[in-house]
Amino acid sequence: MKISQSAKEKTKIKILQSAVDLIIEKGFDNASLREMAKNAGVSNPTIYNYFPSKEKLLYAYIEQKHKEAVTTLQEIEDFHTYTLREQVQTLIETELELYLEDREFIIQIADMVFHSSGLKIGKLYETNALFVETVEEMLNIAIEAEEINPPPFKEHMPTLFWDYYIMVVAYWIKDDSEMFENTTQFIDHSLGLADAVLHSDILNKASDLGMFFFKTHMLNSLQNFASKKDSFSKMKRKLGEVLHG
Amino acid sequence: MDNALPTSKLSRGTVVGKALLKIGAKKTKRFLSNGNKTKNHEEIADIIFDALGELKGVSVKIAQQVALGMPFLPPAYLEKISKSFNAIPTINKALVRKIIKSELHAYPQDAFDSFEMEAFAAASLGQVHKATKDGNALAVKVQYPGIKKSIESDMSLIHFGMKRFAKGQNIDHIIGEIEERLYEEVDYILEAKNCTFFRENMNNSNIIIPKVYPALSSEKVLTTSFLEGLDFETYLLANPSQKSRDAYAQLIFDSFFHALYKLKSIHADPNPGNFLFMQGGKLGLIDFGCVKKVEDDFLKQYNQLHLNLLENEDDMSIITQYLTLGMIEEQSEKEMLQFYREVIKPLDTLYKEPLIDDSYDFKVHKDFSKRGFEMVFEVQQKQFHSVHKLNEQFLFINRTLLGYYALFEKMGARIETGYVKELMKGM
Repeated sequence: MKISQSAKEKTKIKILQSAVDLIIEKGFDNASLREMAKNAGVSNPTIYNYFPSKEKLLYAYIEQKHKEAVTTLQEIEDFHTYTLREQVQTLIETELELYLEDREFIIQIADMVFHSSGLKIGKLYETNALFVETVEEMLNIAIEAEEINPPPFKEHMPTLFWDYYIMVVAYWIKDDSEMFENTTQFIDHSLGLADAVLHSDILNKASDLGMFFFKTHMLNSLQNFASKKDSFSKMKRKLGEVLHG
Repeated sequence: MDNALPTSKLSRGTVVGKALLKIGAKKTKRFLSNGNKTKNHEEIADIIFDALGELKGVSVKIAQQVALGMPFLPPAYLEKISKSFNAIPTINKALVRKIIKSELHAYPQDAFDSFEMEAFAAASLGQVHKATKDGNALAVKVQYPGIKKSIESDMSLIHFGMKRFAKGQNIDHIIGEIEERLYEEVDYILEAKNCTFFRENMNNSNIIIPKVYPALSSEKVLTTSFLEGLDFETYLLANPSQKSRDAYAQLIFDSFFHALYKLKSIHADPNPGNFLFMQGGKLGLIDFGCVKKVEDDFLKQYNQLHLNLLENEDDMSIITQYLTLGMIEEQSEKEMLQFYREVIKPLDTLYKEPLIDDSYDFKVHKDFSKRGFEMVFEVQQKQFHSVHKLNEQFLFINRTLLGYYALFEKMGARIETGYVKELMKGM
């Protein structure tokens, strides 16, 4: 069972790579699943079995890269000595590193997402599970180790990092500096900022302020509104009685 | 972690712009109050270096180079520069991994047998990590990404700012030279070449030069053998014997002239951080980012000039030689004589002072560098401010040597001049 599972995984990766190569060569629209199957040395039914559509293949590619990135991270012996910022930065840099040889392909996907809307960005979000989970774990560890205080809306924080990651990829695609040095610096500086915010407790302070306003002012208004709603429905009922006799 | 470099030209522009505005204000103030000029210079130096400090990274290096390259800058700058040595940005673990991977095509743990993610030293525009490979202890120098690009934008800003001090004279050639030098310094391939050249040609068993590992080096990563030793400050703190101090000073002094006369190349950066005081009286030479080659013809003239200076030849004959060397501008005899006596002579008198007798004791002449600074300052007060193209080889040699003299003074060391004079006479 285990052997067949890993064999399956191998076939999947083989198909993905030949698909990426073909899409780079011919463009997404002109690359057929049939030709991909042929290049990967698998039968037509097999490729449909793995990927019912070309779109599914794209999502599988992104998920595959998350998986490879996480595996790479797991191989870093002293990863536990990295700060939160260094861990997140390593994750993002590793993903980009993996994208590097398929850059042309990534550019096509991005183009479909951001310009021709051939792909729904929402669909792209469905591929982020492993990335989000990984960042969540990093955050939890940092909180547990008391590197940072628990930020407000902690459960949404990892998704925010995914959004940020999409932004980084978009920047990288447009980056024409030598060896994409600008992207490296962009990541370094922006994560430096994120890190400073997380360490400063500014989010908690902002949330405290928000909660204060909410509790003392908004809550009253809401209660007012609720009681008004009460009288409003009374009014409605009355009106109904009038109308319907 | 938070030592982010402001890299966009916009933010750098803002910082420099702010400094220029402040300088403008200071100048106006001085004009109005006709106040003390020295103090004002110091204030301006403060402002400029605050701004450069805010820029970090390349600018620290630029600041150092600017001060070295512009003889007309007031000494207040020099003092500031010595404080700016440690302001190099940190490269965090994620970035170190990334740089090693893109430069050596393997992650640190794969490229090396072991690799310490925490740097053990700052280097010019980067940092140095310990590593091992095949049982060899290594030092891996890693450069911050994008440095080369920011040299360009920083230099154009500095150029703009420095014009104010050149009193309307052309300083393009000086700026150009500094820029070129900076590019050289960020090119680790060139540094590897220089390091190997010195290692193969120094021929002094007491001078240890690291071995370069080309397979583990690139333009932005430089791997060499790791040398174990004390840095200058730590060495002095350990209160070494007079004998040890003298021996080290002698070694530095002799090997400088050996490199100049025999290899026709000098390690032209007198930063004490480039020396390692090793066991058994050995001296480690590291960081070959600033190596200056000298031409044969130049060296012969330079040597002749200094021999004549030591023989106290008359001023006019000396001036002729300076003229050939490109250190004095061709003018009327009277003008040249005045320029020589007021600007160059005080400096070359200082320069040759330790060479006159068979030995020179910096412990006796404790005020050597103080006199030097005062003299430079005095020269600045005279409105010559020569910014015509001075011979850069000449400047590099003298600057480096004066830098070493300042170190010897700190060490309280005594040097013998025999070997050096032998070299000079044998030329």
